[in-house]
Amino acid sequence: MPDQVVLNRCCMSGGTVEDSLATRAGHLFSEYRNGDQAKMADLVRVLTPILWHTARSARLDSATAEDVLQTVWLTLVRKSDTITEPLAVLQWLVVSTKREAWRVARNQLRFRPEDPEFSTSEASKSESIEDTVLRDESDNRLWRHIEQLPERCRTLLRVIAFADRPDYAELAKALGMPQGSIGPTRGRCLAKLRIALAHDPTWEHR
Amino acid sequence: MNESDNDRQIEVEDELAAEELDPSDFALLNSLRATYEERDPVPDGLAERIQFHVTLDALNTEVATLTQLDMAAAGARSATTEAVRTITFTSDSLTTMVTLTPLEDGTVRVDGWAAPGAGIRIELLLADGPHNTYADEDGRFVFEAVPCGLAKFALYVPHDSELSTVLSPAIEL
Repeated sequence: MPDQVVLNRCCMSGGTVEDSLATRAGHLFSEYRNGDQAKMADLVRVLTPILWHTARSARLDSATAEDVLQTVWLTLVRKSDTITEPLAVLQWLVVSTKREAWRVARNQLRFRPEDPEFSTSEASKSESIEDTVLRDESDNRLWRHIEQLPERCRTLLRVIAFADRPDYAELAKALGMPQGSIGPTRGRCLAKLRIALAHDPTWEHR
Repeated sequence: MNESDNDRQIEVEDELAAEELDPSDFALLNSLRATYEERDPVPDGLAERIQFHVTLDALNTEVATLTQLDMAAAGARSATTEAVRTITFTSDSLTTMVTLTPLEDGTVRVDGWAAPGAGIRIELLLADGPHNTYADEDGRFVFEAVPCGLAKFALYVPHDSELSTVLSPAIEL
């Protein structure tokens, strides 16, 4: 894991503590480590959505993604005393989920296009007519634009969408994205999506 | 797209990327979240299943397996749905047999016997919450009238100076 981060740093602004998913998770985990066993259930409840989407962005089926999450949580509980930075537990879990998901995905598939740009263009070429029709009928413009993004951007935005603003930069780092991928600046992935939406006359700006 | 258009596009992207996040970015991320929640919802009960496994692991719990499931006098009383059932489940530390008798008011009487189970605490985990009792010196225990539904037994067995837990598979009462 990359060097541990002092989480609170990101959340102090003008003397007020900005609440974020990472700080809530960090406090729950600290309390759990201090002996409050019930806090683990709260931690699981609070973080299951973001970890679900982290695992699923590795293109695992539902049952496999669930196994990955079970493995990651059991590892956390078994190693809980050895985690050096309890306040960074969210990053620890996201990194572990991502690694475990890709490890399992590699074992599942012999062939997987590794280059995200390549896989995106291949996917659009091989898309069946039925898929296209279904997609247009669903009228979900946003989804269509998400699917056009490079895979690493889809993963980043998908995970980020389940977190809070102060968490963005650290989560991007946990997902292996370069510094500046998102937060405090917009970063390339969101910029790409906004340009695509700006060029879509059917997208209503809100 | 010719080369200068392409350059222009990259320039626009660079500029946009370097700006600070603004309210429309947060609105867009909210829409993304809603889209993913709709397209790929977290499976029902996933958090509960994780909590369950984490708890078992933390408690060093043995999971008992079903070894026998008898419909009492199944041949003779096949016409009646009020069948008494006997279920046996076993783990490393003990064997438990429970007899389930449906009562007229729709509840179920549970008669159990755990061996070796003298004086142990038995918890019946039901949808409406846990019910507790203690086994007698022979390891026998009773839950007089519990609601129907899926249930698990948790038996707390003294093990050295600590209690270890034996958990039954889910059983339909």
